[in-house]
Amino acid sequence: MLNMLSLGLISVPVGFLGSLIGLGGAGLLTPILVLMGVPIKVAIASCMVSIIATSSGSASSYVRQRITNIKVAMYLEMFTITGAIIGATITTRINPVYLYFFFAAFLMLSFLRLREPKGSLTVPHKQDRLSRWLELHGSYYDEAHDKVVEYKVDNALLGGGGMMVAGVAAGMLGIGAGAFKVTVHEKILHMPTKVSSTTSNFVIGMTALAGTSIYLFSGLLNLTLMAPMAVGTTIGAIVGGRVLNKISNKVLKVLFLVIVVILIGQMLYKGISAI
Amino acid sequence: MNAPQLGSGESKLETAISWLLIVGVLVSLVLEIAGIAVYYHTYHQVSVSQDPSVFIQSRNFFTFVYDQFRHAQGSAAARLMTAGIIILILTPYVRVVVSAFYFARERNIKYVVITMFVLIVLTVVLIRH
Repeated sequence: MLNMLSLGLISVPVGFLGSLIGLGGAGLLTPILVLMGVPIKVAIASCMVSIIATSSGSASSYVRQRITNIKVAMYLEMFTITGAIIGATITTRINPVYLYFFFAAFLMLSFLRLREPKGSLTVPHKQDRLSRWLELHGSYYDEAHDKVVEYKVDNALLGGGGMMVAGVAAGMLGIGAGAFKVTVHEKILHMPTKVSSTTSNFVIGMTALAGTSIYLFSGLLNLTLMAPMAVGTTIGAIVGGRVLNKISNKVLKVLFLVIVVILIGQMLYKGISAI
Repeated sequence: MNAPQLGSGESKLETAISWLLIVGVLVSLVLEIAGIAVYYHTYHQVSVSQDPSVFIQSRNFFTFVYDQFRHAQGSAAARLMTAGIIILILTPYVRVVVSAFYFARERNIKYVVITMFVLIVLTVVLIRH
């Protein structure tokens, strides 16, 4: 039988990984809960709180280190919150069987993102007028490369659209959709990898907050799930926030890849079995 | 020569948000751990329960917070865990409030509008659901 101590312990590495890679961690925790017999809608709803814990736990460190870009985060939150409300409203009205397949597909997105090269210090020189007007630029000290990286964010409007879609996915699937957000940050907004991950961590908490209120209304929030998950992910995220620059990206990619592959297989099995 | 200013150029806001997040996270962490400990002391086990008494529900978030402070129901363990969850949920909300005040004080109209939009949408969601 699932108990709070084991759930808290399972949540620590999830919060740790989530804080390093810019994911909320619920994409991993929800399938684990489902495998342990928790109804999927209860698992999705309760994991929303663990996303907030991962976000706040890691962001407290990343904001202090000036890696997170507050203005970019504020601008993107407008879109992602709107999307999250739409997504969370839809998910309480559809058959949970389909959610297994949504989860599998979404975890594949995490897999694709992790296959991309990381660690580059991309600093685009051009910036569109809207991004410039919104003051979407900044700098941070990159410990691994021992240099201050200055950057300018580009394509603010298109990036906002991408974040709206990420918000819908987050609200619908009960995850932070961090992998999707980080991809939007890097590929559309041209943000450096570390700024992208840490800003994603900052934003996912807000997305989850909008979703949590909807689940509170639905009565799906279980205290004996939320409390240990929040404790575990918070501790993991605080530790992760302090060691981001000290761990090899390659080691993290391999570890996470193994976890994602296992979870995709489990979700597909569950979905097919439930039909 | 001065060292380059890191972050988004809003160092006071970044410092304030950083402290807010640290305090919010630590307070909720302590309350949740205390709640789990009291749960164990009361029931002599820490199994995840599907009993209706461990599910929280309310018309909206603010009503829920008000009810918890005015006439909290349930066991001591449930009340502690609920308080921890409330603090955790409120932390990013307060972060937006602090940001809105900061940009208003700095007379940065663009970001006053952006943060107020986020704050209003969030507040409406927390009230309506």
